[in-house]
Amino acid sequence: MASTDTEIVVEDPNAPSDDSPPVTSVRAVDVVVSLLLLTLALVLAVDNWRTGMSWDFAGPQAGYFPFYLSVILGGACIYGLVGAYRSRAETAQAFVTRDQLRRVLQVFVPTLLFCVFMQWLGLYVASFLLVGGFMWRIGRIVVWKSLLTSALFSLIMFATFEIAFNVIMPKGPVEALFGY
Amino acid sequence: MSKQLGAFGLFVGALGAVAMAANPAAAWEPSKPVEIVVAAGAGGASDQMARMMQSAIQKNNLMKQPAVVSLKGGASGGEALMYMKSSEGDPHKVLIAYSLIYMLPLSAKIPFNWRELSPVSVIALDQFILWSNTTLPHKNVKEFIAAAKAANPPFKMGGTGSKREDQVLTVFTEKKTGTKFAYLPYKSGGEAATQLVGNHTQANVNNPSENLEVWRAGQVRALCVFDKERMQYKAKVTDKQSWNDIPTCKEEGLDVQYLMLRAMFLPGKVTPDQTAFYVDLFKKLVQTTDYKEYLEKQALKPVFLTGKDMVKFLEEDDALNKNLMTEAGFVAN
Amino acid sequence: MEAFSLLLHGFSVLLTWKTLALMMVGLVLGIFVGVLPGLGGPNGVAILLPLTFTMDPTSAIVMLSCIYWGALFGGAITSILFNIPGEAWSVATTFDGYPMAQQGRAAEALTAAFTSSFIGSFVAVLLITFLAPSIASFALRFGPPEFFAVYLLTFCSFVGLGREEKHKIVISMTFGLLLAGVGMDTVSGQLRMTFGWSELYRGINFLVAVIGLFGISEILLTMEERLALRGHTARISLGVVLKVWKELPRYWVTLLRSSAIGCWLGITPGGAIAASFMSYNLAKRFAKDKESFGKGRIEGVFAPETAAHASGTAALLPMLALGIPGSGTAAILLGGLLVWGLNPGPLLFVEHKSFVWGLIASMYLGNVVGFLLVLTTVPVFASILRVPFSAVAPMIVVSCAIGAYAIQNAMFDIWWMLLFGVVGYVFKKIGIPLAPFTLALVLGNRAEDAFRLSMIGSGGDLLVFWSNGLVGSIATLALVLLFWPLISSAIQRFRKKEG
Repeated sequence: MASTDTEIVVEDPNAPSDDSPPVTSVRAVDVVVSLLLLTLALVLAVDNWRTGMSWDFAGPQAGYFPFYLSVILGGACIYGLVGAYRSRAETAQAFVTRDQLRRVLQVFVPTLLFCVFMQWLGLYVASFLLVGGFMWRIGRIVVWKSLLTSALFSLIMFATFEIAFNVIMPKGPVEALFGY
Repeated sequence: MSKQLGAFGLFVGALGAVAMAANPAAAWEPSKPVEIVVAAGAGGASDQMARMMQSAIQKNNLMKQPAVVSLKGGASGGEALMYMKSSEGDPHKVLIAYSLIYMLPLSAKIPFNWRELSPVSVIALDQFILWSNTTLPHKNVKEFIAAAKAANPPFKMGGTGSKREDQVLTVFTEKKTGTKFAYLPYKSGGEAATQLVGNHTQANVNNPSENLEVWRAGQVRALCVFDKERMQYKAKVTDKQSWNDIPTCKEEGLDVQYLMLRAMFLPGKVTPDQTAFYVDLFKKLVQTTDYKEYLEKQALKPVFLTGKDMVKFLEEDDALNKNLMTEAGFVAN
Repeated sequence: MEAFSLLLHGFSVLLTWKTLALMMVGLVLGIFVGVLPGLGGPNGVAILLPLTFTMDPTSAIVMLSCIYWGALFGGAITSILFNIPGEAWSVATTFDGYPMAQQGRAAEALTAAFTSSFIGSFVAVLLITFLAPSIASFALRFGPPEFFAVYLLTFCSFVGLGREEKHKIVISMTFGLLLAGVGMDTVSGQLRMTFGWSELYRGINFLVAVIGLFGISEILLTMEERLALRGHTARISLGVVLKVWKELPRYWVTLLRSSAIGCWLGITPGGAIAASFMSYNLAKRFAKDKESFGKGRIEGVFAPETAAHASGTAALLPMLALGIPGSGTAAILLGGLLVWGLNPGPLLFVEHKSFVWGLIASMYLGNVVGFLLVLTTVPVFASILRVPFSAVAPMIVVSCAIGAYAIQNAMFDIWWMLLFGVVGYVFKKIGIPLAPFTLALVLGNRAEDAFRLSMIGSGGDLLVFWSNGLVGSIATLALVLLFWPLISSAIQRFRKKEG
C-alpha cells in the first residue's frame, strides 16, 4: 500500500559532540543579562526623569510612561537576581558547550563580517563573499561548487530586487562598473 | 508581464544614462535612480504627492532614470530632515518639504536648518479647513464657536502631530475667539478624519485631501477655509458643494490664515547645474496634465517659485512660522 | 447574506491573472521556507515582506498570506518525513506522523496532514467571513479609551495567562515597551530616550527587530544542534488520497472538536501551539484504545494539524478587526499593513472593504490551491532538505539583511538586526519569552497614545475607561486577567475551606 520510500540522508561531519565541556551556565548568563537590563533601566529612568515624568493638567508627560516602565523593568531584574542568588544550590545547567559555541561563532563571525563589508562593497558583492566563503570554508564544499552557487544566488537576488521589484539595496564599486 | 517590460526599459534607460555620462559636453543628468524623500508615513499627503510625481515622471518621460519613493516618516518627519542633511553633495535625493522644515527644529530641538539644503522649487500651497461632524446642530462658524464656548468639557479638536501647523491653527482659533479646545494629536490626517466621523472629536483642521472622502460621504461639514480668498475649484465635489463654495474664515468672522508650502529641496553642496536639472524637471512636471488633475483633486493652490523668488518666499514664510510658533508657546527652550 | 455578497466582491477583486500568479509564487515560496530548517512561517513572511512594498496592498497581502499558508503546509512535510517540527505547533504532528512514515505509510500521513489543515483553516475562514460584517458595524464606536482598553487587555492576558516565569514575562514586555517609546513622542512632539543621537530619532522599527529576533537568532540556535538528518520521501498517489478521504467521516468528531479548539485559541493571543497539543490530548483522552496513539495512528495527525491551522487562520481576525495580532505571523502582517498605509483596526472594515474581502477571499482560494499544490509536489519539496545547511544558512542571513535594510533604506538597521539576533539567541536560551517583547514593540506606542489622548479628552479623569459599557467591560476583564493567578489561587483556597 505504501508508495516508493527512499531515504534522504544528510550527514553533519563536524557536529558538536555531546560530552563537550560547558563554557558557562544558564544561571551565570541570566545574572549578566539581568545586570545589563538593570543598568539600561537606570539610564532610561534618569533620562525620562529629565524629559519630564509628572502628571500634567491634561494627562501624563512624555517621560511618564517610560519612567515607570523602567522602574518596573528594574524591579523585575532585581527580583530575578534575588531568585538566582537563592537558587545557587541547584545544579548549573549549561548555557552553551565549547563545541556549540564554536559552531555558533562559525556563523556569527561571518555574519558580522558580512555586515561590515556591506558598508563598502554593497549588499550583492558581500553576499557573494558570504555564501561562497561559508560554503567553502565551513561547509567544506568544493570551491567551484561554492563559488558557482553563491554567484548564482547573488545574481538572482539582484535581478529580483533591483530590477524586477525596484527595491534599492546598498551597492558598491562593482555594481558601479556596470552602471548601477 | 508589464513589470518585466518596465524593468527591461529601465535597463535600457540605464545604459543610455551611462552613454550620456561618457559625453562630458552634455548638461548634468542623474546617473542612478532618484530618491523622492517623503517626510511622512505611507498614505499621507506627501506620500501621495511623491507617488503622483513618480508616475508622472515615468509616464511623460521626463527623466531617463526612474524615481523611487523613500518614506522617512520617523520622528514626525525629523528622520527625513536628518537624512537630507547627512546626504550633502548627493544629487540623487530630493525632499518633498512642508512646514515641518521651520517648525520641527523649533519644537523638538532637532539640529536642522533648511538653509543647509539647496532649494529647488515651491510647487504648491496647501489649504486648511475647519471641519465639524454633520451630526452636530451648528451650521456655520458663528454657531460652532458659540457652542464651543458654552461646552464643558471643552470641544475636542483633532489634528496631525503635536506643536505643528494643526495645533498652531487651533491655538490661534482659540486666541481670536476666546474659546478653549482640547487638542488631540493623531498620527495622521486620516486618523483625525475617521475619529471625527466616529464622533470622538467635534472638529478638526485637516487639509482638503485628508477629509475629501468623508466629506463626499456627507459625514463631515466644511465650515471655513483658513485663507484670504476662497479656493478656485468650482466643480462639485459633494452633492451640493464645490471647494469654492466653502467660505473663508475671515468672511465668517474668524480672522486666521495659514497656507502650507509644498516645496522640493536637494541636499546641501550640490552644483548649480545639478540644481538646474531639477528646476527644469519640476517646471516640466507642473505642466503635465497628471499634475494639474492631482492639484484639483487634492484642492491644492497652484504656485511655482524657483531661484531668488523662492528664497525670498522661504525667508518670509520662515519668519511668519517662527512668529506663530513663538506666540503659540511651542518653541522649546 | 451580507457576508456572501461581500465575499463575492472579494473574489472579483481577486480573480485577475496577476493576483493568481502572485498567489502561486507566494505558495511555492511559503512551502519552501516552511521546509527549510531555521526558517518557518513568521521568519519567512518577515524576510519576504520587502518584496511587497512596491505592490498595491491587496496584491501584497494576497502574496503574503499565501506565503503563510505555504509555510504551514511545509511544516507538516518535515514533521512527518524527518521528525523535525518546523514550528513549535508541528511538534504534536510528529508524535504519530513520524511513526506512520517509519511504517511506510508516509504518503497516508501527509495526505491526512494536508487534508486536516485544509479543513481546519476552512472552518476558521468561515468563522471570519461571518463575524467580519458585524465587526464593521460597531467599528466607529472605537475612540481612544476603547482602543486603550483593548491594548491593555492584550498586555494583561500575556502577563496573567503566560506559562513562563512571571518576572521574565514582565522583563520581556517592559523592555519591548521601552524600546517602542524611543524617538519622537507623538502626543507632546518631544524627543525622548535618543540621547541626542540622530540615528535614534526615528525609533526602533519593529520589523527589523523581528527579523533579528527570529531570523538571525534561529540560525544561531540551529547551528548549535547536530544537523544530520535521516528521513523518508513519499510520492502521494491518487489511491492513497482516496483511501484517507474515505476514512475522514469516521473522525468527524475529532475534526470538529479540533477546529473549535483552534478557532478559540487562535482568537486569544498565542494560541497555535497550545491548540495543537490540547486537541491531540483530547483526541487521545476520548479514544477507546489510548495505547495506539504515538504508534502511527492517523487520528493523531488529524487532531493537531486541524487545530494548528484553525488557530493560525483565526489569529488573523483580531489582527484585522482590532489591530491586535494573535500570532507572530499575524504581528508581521500587521507591520506590513502599516507599511502599505492601512491602519488595522475596526475601521479597516469600513474604509478598505475591497482589501479586507479580497484578503478573506484569498484565504479560501489560497487554501484550495495550496492543498492541491502540496499534494502533487511533496517529493520535490522533501528533497530541498538535501541541500546542505552550510549553503542555506548564509543565504538566509543575506535574505534577512535585505529584509531589514529595505524596510527603511537604512544601513543602521542592519546593525539593529544583528543586535536583536544576539538578544533573541540569549533570551531564548535563558527562558525570557520573545512573544511579549514583540507584541510590546508593535503596540507600545499606540497603547500609550491612546491612553494619553483619552486623558486629554477627559481632562485627566481615569474614570473615562469605565464611562460606557463597551470600554468598561473590556477594562475590567483586562484587570481580572492581569491578576488571574492571584484570583484563581484565592478561589482554590476558598473551595478548600468549604470542603
